[in-house]
Amino acid sequence: MNREDFLERVRSAIKVSELPPIPEAPPGGLVPDLPRAGVTERFLEQVEAVDGHTHLVGSDDEAVHLIGVLLEQYGATDYLAWAPDHLPVAGLAERLRATPLDAVVPGDAEGRLEHQTGYTDLLVGITGASAGLAESGSIVLEAGPGRPRMASLIPLVHIALLRERDITQSLSHWIADHAEAAADTSNLFIITGPSRTADIEQTLNLGVHGPKHLHVVVLGG
Amino acid sequence: MNVPVTFVERAHRGIGNRSTAAGEVGARRMMSHRIAASADYPAMEEMRDQARRIRLYALGHLDELLARFSDEVEGAGGHVHFAADADEAIAYIRKVAEETNVRRIVKSKSMVTEEIHLNAALEAHDLEVVETDLGEFIIQLSGDTPSHIIAPVMHKTRQDVGELFSEKLGIEYTDDPTELNNVARHHLREIFLSADMGISGCNVAIAESGSIVLVTNEGNGRLTTSAPRIHVAVMGMERIVPTLSDAAVILEVLARSATGQRLSVYTNIVTGARRPGDPDGPEEFHVVILDNGRSRVLAGDAAEVLACIRCGACLNVCPVYREAGGHAYGFTYSGPIGAVITPSLMGLAEWHDLPYASSLCGACLDACPVRIDLPGLLLKLRRDAVSEGLGPDGLEGALKWFTRLATNPGMWRGATRAGGWSAKLIARQGWIKSLPGRGSAWTDYRDLPAPAAKPFHARWKERQRES
Ligand code: SF4
Repeated sequence: MNREDFLERVRSAIKVSELPPIPEAPPGGLVPDLPRAGVTERFLEQVEAVDGHTHLVGSDDEAVHLIGVLLEQYGATDYLAWAPDHLPVAGLAERLRATPLDAVVPGDAEGRLEHQTGYTDLLVGITGASAGLAESGSIVLEAGPGRPRMASLIPLVHIALLRERDITQSLSHWIADHAEAAADTSNLFIITGPSRTADIEQTLNLGVHGPKHLHVVVLGG
Repeated sequence: MNVPVTFVERAHRGIGNRSTAAGEVGARRMMSHRIAASADYPAMEEMRDQARRIRLYALGHLDELLARFSDEVEGAGGHVHFAADADEAIAYIRKVAEETNVRRIVKSKSMVTEEIHLNAALEAHDLEVVETDLGEFIIQLSGDTPSHIIAPVMHKTRQDVGELFSEKLGIEYTDDPTELNNVARHHLREIFLSADMGISGCNVAIAESGSIVLVTNEGNGRLTTSAPRIHVAVMGMERIVPTLSDAAVILEVLARSATGQRLSVYTNIVTGARRPGDPDGPEEFHVVILDNGRSRVLAGDAAEVLACIRCGACLNVCPVYREAGGHAYGFTYSGPIGAVITPSLMGLAEWHDLPYASSLCGACLDACPVRIDLPGLLLKLRRDAVSEGLGPDGLEGALKWFTRLATNPGMWRGATRAGGWSAKLIARQGWIKSLPGRGSAWTDYRDLPAPAAKPFHARWKERQRES
């Protein structure tokens, strides 16, 4: 059906519709009344509540050290990381490059990842989050140049780096300040804990498609 | 084996069997999660009211919002197809598949594609279609249909799944959910990364940016929309809201009502295809906007049902759903929402028994995050069915007799007295367990309280005399 006929059919349906009273003005969002104070603590607590791991670090050096430890702990031989200017830790890329690990960075001439089948067994992905949401224990990420979607999707372990000052109360709070966020990127996504399913007898299982382990590293100050 | 055609026949199959029992335990668990999640969120009631306003606003302005949405999708380099019905939607998706040499398709869970029987239609044209939500994957492997709109395999036990995987995937039998889970991850991962097209549904569409929002807990929604080179989203035309802020309200109440989570694990907001410089994401983005009976529902007196955000809360609280199981509803949508939406979309002629699959206890209205008056809509549909001569057998005749009796005092007195006498003969301890003839339609399923030995009007007279 062409667009005009389709929309005309909708228009005439609305005219005779017996809907309950329709608000005249667009209702818009609703920002719940949640305190700003204590967001960091609430965020860390809530990430843990949804089975994520949290790390609060005081300096870039500490963050780099921590990531090194995590990579070693998981026995990673390679990792897929967002480009250095999209990670909130200065010098992370250089420091990691100095280790014997192979980084897998966005590939061909157009910046497109090389054929994805190569990433089936990728163990660790490292990304930078735009925001943390205290109420739900979520992180907000925006894909784009230098920021592959796959880094938070394919590996078994996802390490997300976040500045403490980017933690806010809730999704509605963040969106109230970033009304254009959906239009600004081809993929805006909000992650709340590791991949989970309870499809088989409602028994919780982590890592069914996405990462099984989520580490959120918060850079204090 | 006869295919059961009515709700009662299908429910008979479900009641008391192992699958329905598994489903009932699941539904109760999901219900308590929802209640806990709402109780610990002081803003929940306010959010529900706002979500209702947003959904009603969207329905009342659907034409404008869809026009804006489609402009924005095209502005972001995507393609929009308006499909009047299932055939048009399927034809478009097949055309895209053909033009872009698609062979393998991955799907993330979507009710609307089940509604139009998309998989079968694509498979008939030699396309390989793989469901990737763990529950849907199990359903597809076993050739079954989902029994719950959020938890499609609620009716299967771990042993069922273990047997299925060992038979179809050639693994050694295990009924350990963690191992079954790993098997599925491994099997599906390779399929994802070699698929040409991903087909998703759409939980919410955002008009101002031309975005679609998908929520999943497993991550298959993100893989479906990111890994293959073509992404096709199929949305019921009513799924839309004006802005990202409106979407946030819907997302908050959706997750809490569906599974008791504060937000689903992955909230995936997709705007167009991959942009220049993006390292990954699909090369093409298509949205199919589906009517398939919705404009007729919008024009009717059950239009409010289109405000539904498909959370499944009304299923979990429904005593009829829990006893009869999801399959008794005979179509994609089950529970109270199914009892309203199926006859509304598909016509009462074939589905006039569904509005009776409810005791009208009102639990669904209490649970519904957007406060849809499901009991009221069920009554409207019952009324419509009766006035179209589609009521339950004999109802019309019975009502005519009732009217005649009730409007003639002499006949009424005679009849109630006769009723009292005969009830005395068959009642046991105040209950009638079985009635002959047409009366068995009631007593087959529940007991009937015996009428008082002396009818009300007789006792009233006595009282007046005494005082
Ligand atoms: S009718 Fe209400 S409770 Fe039922 S699925 Fe729809 S939104 Fe949820």
